[in-house]
Amino acid sequence: MANTVIGSSIVIDGEITGEEPLTILGTVKGKISVAQSLAVEAGATVEADVEAQTVTVSGRLTGNVVARERLELKPESKMVGDAKSPRIVIADGAGFKGNVDMDV
Amino acid sequence: MADKETVIGPETRISGEVRGEEDLIVRGHIDGKVQLTQTLTVEKGATVQADVDVRHLLIAGTVVGTMVASESVKLASTARVVGDLASPRVMMEAGAAYRGRVDMGDIAAARAAVSSRAVQRPAASEKSTTRPAPPRMATPAKAVVVGKAAAPVAPATRPVTPAVAGAPGPASPPAFPRVAGAMGSMTPAWAKKKIRRR
Repeated sequence: MANTVIGSSIVIDGEITGEEPLTILGTVKGKISVAQSLAVEAGATVEADVEAQTVTVSGRLTGNVVARERLELKPESKMVGDAKSPRIVIADGAGFKGNVDMDV
Repeated sequence: MADKETVIGPETRISGEVRGEEDLIVRGHIDGKVQLTQTLTVEKGATVQADVDVRHLLIAGTVVGTMVASESVKLASTARVVGDLASPRVMMEAGAAYRGRVDMGDIAAARAAVSSRAVQRPAASEKSTTRPAPPRMATPAKAVVVGKAAAPVAPATRPVTPAVAGAPGPASPPAFPRVAGAMGSMTPAWAKKKIRRR
């Protein structure tokens, strides 16, 4: 079970911290820091600096991302901001603007 | 996927403002403000320190703040609630602990008062932990000082051992208890009765 889900009509303005997987279908502005995975689903809007183990973006993400393990931009996703992660996957069709830092 | 419910899991904390047009279930923590057109459910073990403006409010956990529910409020037997409450229908189960004022009349005025109040954290990412506690929270914290008897309501039938009372005391913020573990040193009388029963 996905432990924390932010539904599509929900708007959060502030900070989310957690030790469990987080799925966002709505809108989050501010800062996100989770120990596990973050999924920004299709239709979701995130304007936040993000820190997580793995980050999967299918929606729209604006902000700097630090993914300790893996960052994946799915087709149709849009991301603006700097990405820092040892493994970064950008699918065909994804939109991305920003710096990539893979620690090499 | 369209109607996935919104859940704040037990290991997740949100500080800031939450708005929405769907049901919200809290198992973790929210600090700040919650504004929904539907139902807010605060489950057992969850804590919400926020001004709340919703349609239905179901509380089985802990809520500190001003609450407005345009249709109903229900405090379950495990609820621990401090703050003023405005709703046309208010239900409290036996065992619920509540301190504050209830207003079943003028919801509009109460709602205006809540919604005009700004979230007390201007910057989204900074110092969420140092945010000043809401004014009401200072009062319940005065319950026990080590070596002193508790409030007159709770006579010291069980002496407070320094180990129990000392441990969480200084480290925890002087606020309403957030988790069961912190309930040693700063518990209001009603909550202590509960602990003693175990």
